[in-house]
Amino acid sequence: MSQQITADTLPEAVLEATRSAPKKRSQWLEVWQHLKRNKMAMFGLVILSLVVFAAVFADLIADYETVVIAQNLSDRLQGPSAQYWMGTDEFGRDIFARMIHGTRVSLMVGVLSVAIAIMIGGTLGAVAGYYGGRLDNIIMRVMDIFLAVPSILLAIAIVSALGANLINLMLAIAVSSIPSYARVVRASVLSLRDQEFIEAARAIGASDTRIIFRHIVPNALAPVIVQGALGVATAILSTAGLSFIGLGIQPPEPEWGAMLAGGRQYLRHAWHVTTFPGLAIMITILALNLLGDGLRDALDPRLKH
Amino acid sequence: MKYSAKTAIAVALTALLAGCGGQEETAQVRDTLIVAQGADAKTLDPHATNDQPSARVAAQIYNQLLTIDADMNVIPDLAVSWESVDANTTVFKLRQGVKFHNGEELKASDVKFTLDRMIDSPTVAHIAGTIKTVDVIDDYTIKITTHQPFGPLLYHLTHTASSILSEKAVTEAGDNYGQQPVGTGPYKFADWAAGDSISLTVNGEYFDGVQEIPNVTFRNIIEGTNRTIALETGEVDVAYDIEPIDKDTVRNHENLQLLEGESLSINYFGFNTRKKPFGDVRVRQAIGYAVNSQDIIDAVVMGSGIPTNSSISTRVFGHSPEAYKYSQDYEKARQLMVEAGYADGFKTTIWTNDNPVRVQIAQVLQAQLRKINIDMAIEVVEWGAFLDGISRGEHDTYLFGWVTVTGDADYGLYPLYHSSAHGGAGNRSFYTDTKMDQMLDAARESVNVEERKALYSDIQIQLQKELPHYPIYVGIQNVGLKKDVKGFQLSPAGHHKLKGVDFES
Amino acid sequence: MEYHLLLLSDRYPMYRFILKRLFLLLPVLLGVSLLVFAIMSFTPGDPAQLILGESAPAEAVAELREEMGLNDPFIVRYASFVGNAITGDLGRSYSTGREVFGEIASRFPNTLTLATLGVLIAIVIGVPVGIISATRQYSLIDSSSMVVALLGVSMPNFWLGLMLILVFSVNLGWLPSGGFSDWSSVILPALTLGTGSAAIITRMTRSSMLEVIRQDYIRTARAKGVAENVVINRHALKNALIPVITVIGLQFGYLLGGAVLTETVYSWPGVGRMMVDAIRQKDTPTVLGTVVFLAAAFSLVNLAVDILYGFIDPRIKSQYK
Repeated sequence: MSQQITADTLPEAVLEATRSAPKKRSQWLEVWQHLKRNKMAMFGLVILSLVVFAAVFADLIADYETVVIAQNLSDRLQGPSAQYWMGTDEFGRDIFARMIHGTRVSLMVGVLSVAIAIMIGGTLGAVAGYYGGRLDNIIMRVMDIFLAVPSILLAIAIVSALGANLINLMLAIAVSSIPSYARVVRASVLSLRDQEFIEAARAIGASDTRIIFRHIVPNALAPVIVQGALGVATAILSTAGLSFIGLGIQPPEPEWGAMLAGGRQYLRHAWHVTTFPGLAIMITILALNLLGDGLRDALDPRLKH
Repeated sequence: MKYSAKTAIAVALTALLAGCGGQEETAQVRDTLIVAQGADAKTLDPHATNDQPSARVAAQIYNQLLTIDADMNVIPDLAVSWESVDANTTVFKLRQGVKFHNGEELKASDVKFTLDRMIDSPTVAHIAGTIKTVDVIDDYTIKITTHQPFGPLLYHLTHTASSILSEKAVTEAGDNYGQQPVGTGPYKFADWAAGDSISLTVNGEYFDGVQEIPNVTFRNIIEGTNRTIALETGEVDVAYDIEPIDKDTVRNHENLQLLEGESLSINYFGFNTRKKPFGDVRVRQAIGYAVNSQDIIDAVVMGSGIPTNSSISTRVFGHSPEAYKYSQDYEKARQLMVEAGYADGFKTTIWTNDNPVRVQIAQVLQAQLRKINIDMAIEVVEWGAFLDGISRGEHDTYLFGWVTVTGDADYGLYPLYHSSAHGGAGNRSFYTDTKMDQMLDAARESVNVEERKALYSDIQIQLQKELPHYPIYVGIQNVGLKKDVKGFQLSPAGHHKLKGVDFES
Repeated sequence: MEYHLLLLSDRYPMYRFILKRLFLLLPVLLGVSLLVFAIMSFTPGDPAQLILGESAPAEAVAELREEMGLNDPFIVRYASFVGNAITGDLGRSYSTGREVFGEIASRFPNTLTLATLGVLIAIVIGVPVGIISATRQYSLIDSSSMVVALLGVSMPNFWLGLMLILVFSVNLGWLPSGGFSDWSSVILPALTLGTGSAAIITRMTRSSMLEVIRQDYIRTARAKGVAENVVINRHALKNALIPVITVIGLQFGYLLGGAVLTETVYSWPGVGRMMVDAIRQKDTPTVLGTVVFLAAAFSLVNLAVDILYGFIDPRIKSQYK
């Protein structure tokens, strides 16, 4: 599939960022202050806001039943015009309307698949890191196995076993990134576990669950957030890749990756069919990466001026 | 370090530029015909597979006892003549002096060995039909006996799976035979770079004249767009299955030409007649009136199809022009829906595999059926799960295709509509009708050509009334070639034979 | 002892380290094969049905299943796979009848060539751009090179691939559009693969350099009046290289197994596509063979990276225990 960004690609500094005592609200504010000064990151944030805006108000911009999925076979593969801002696709559907509605699915797949991966991977990583020993060994070896199995096999397996729909697609994309989140979280937890404030919590009789979820997890969040932002980008690319091999979203629902992959045979005859979804994917991913990089810088104490 | 980085860039650039220059040297000596198709052959053992990419290569290496000409007539190949002794028995006289690529002479024992092996192979046994025994009468005479009279026997013997193998070569190669095939055809197998290309060289002892072009290479170019590109850039001489959208590019290119012809394949929209509401013929007919095939053909395959009235192409023996042809009529469709008790429509699903053409067809069908209040969700299912699911009858409706490779109606109709073929054998609409079974059996067991034609006509008329499948269109196949490639003839089954192809000097 | 012939005594820990890592690889490969075997066995789709295709009478499917041993219990089939695999026999492909090991062996050089050249291109672009960006943090050069680098990761490979074909094969006519003929046919696929990795390497180089530049000894060197390019090239780069090499190794690993889309666009006969084709055919022996092979290759690359650390930074050698 596409490039994967794993824990190993994060500088040690990010992991170290979490070692410095518990984060308070004010510290997040400080991160935001730092982020605000990073023009590239803010640029990314603005673009992402626009994308989110499009997703939220998609129905006001174009009606789903009468525009987005309505076929108009006499207007097939028309170039951009006043009527169709981005032209029409092979069924004469309005590409602009589909792009706007496509933001919903693409964002949802991106964000939710990462959320699933973080929840499962994060929990496994936290448990492994916190308890250590044999449990740690077992969990991490299983993660190694999942990491070694090609994501495409996992994706095809899930889609063919559970059926192709939005949820399974997200699951398919999530599964292959679970091990990398497990690694990141485990690394942070390892560094936190013997810190004084954890000892203190333990001393006052807090349960393991409470310690993990109230004290350790919030403090291990920083690297996860950074990786998550990049992960959303990877997930959007993976969706396009899965569509390319025929395992994308269920038609006629619009989704950028499926639009890009589906339009590839028209590349030379109707450039607009692939160009707009391609650009949308590129710009969104660019924005996510810029924001991710900005967050990483902002969270890294040693890079601060 | 900076220095070395610079050097590295310089080296890389030089390499790139050198690569660009090196291109011009190729393409001079034309001793090889390069043919591109969309997938690599699986195996060149005709008894181990039944897929088209393999058959397209095997067609150059092997001969069958009989073959089909461009007008769909059965003509002699390795058998020079044949005679029906009785309804169950046919005697074939073999061509004499035919040599296999390994130097062995073709004998009746090879034919017996081949057909016996075919009957034993689960992959292709069903193509051998009801062959019971094969007897060697002398070195050049063979007798084939069937269990029951079998009308389409001669057509089945033209199938690539009925290619005649050398007993010695097969025995010697054992499990590796599929990668070192030996036949009697105009080209012999030379080399196979798995996943990339198969090279053939000319058979200097071919019984029907030695080919002009010394080598043929079959290249595997998966993406349709890229096959056209390779043709344009001159990397290949012939490209099979040009994408519909690229057809004009090839047609209008100064160095290229496009051959097109009606194929033996159809695409159909099938209904699971075991499930509600598709057990009701009125619902099926309503859908028949709601669909507009021409729109599908125009939108999805850019006109590369012909609306049809039958599950077999007009080129297939037994096709009936008399069967009813549906045309879009929403009034009739709605009325039938009301009669069936579905005035408000219903919800259903359509299964398709991830073949982009089928997924697109499903989308147009979905839009067309919405007009009569049928809310049809599209389930794109991965091929393995698809084949499994529709063979078990898990689907409501489905999109599928069929190629009547043998050119005889039996191959196209019996598996699709006979109740004994429910599920994986072909009848995935689970259509069950005693009268239909009787007619299909009678047509199969008749050896009288006129009687068979009449029976098949009745069958197709009946099927269009019952409509267990809505036949959407007959495919038009195409091949793109350089203008200087001469003598290429389309085979209706798609297994184009390169015999007689030459470069114009 | 024979060891001494192979290894100098002071390298002995390194040797043990490698052995230990290779030993740890075994359970992972075993786990991978079990997982893959389970996936192939318990997901829908019947290999026998797939071989027989569209018109397969139920009896034929049943007969073929029996012949292929598919009716045996899961454990029996898995055990027989492992048993054979230990002797180097990965079985024969369900769909082509070829020996899986032989086919992997014939295709792997193609995959290796593509991945190697892809990574080289990525390094050649990524490392210099990353260094320049880091030395001029927040400058226009920094921002623009980062944006360009990021566009590299932002483009789906198959799209980039098609674009490159249109430009270099169709319009310019410089390079073949696909297939595997001479070495010129590897350039476009390698470029397609390389751009994504180039972006990742650029970013890693940049951030790693930034971190090192702020270290005390760099400040000291500067204070001592050492020329800036010497500071960067001699002192900073060497220390910044370690995480960069990790990333390069990881990227190389991914390119070995993750080039499926690129291989498809360019009809490149590599192991990745062999695997995907096999997955779709439910060709269990081929899937198992390719996945286990690629997993092993990936792990070995990582091991090689770890060993390489030792040469770059002698301090790390002491950790090989």
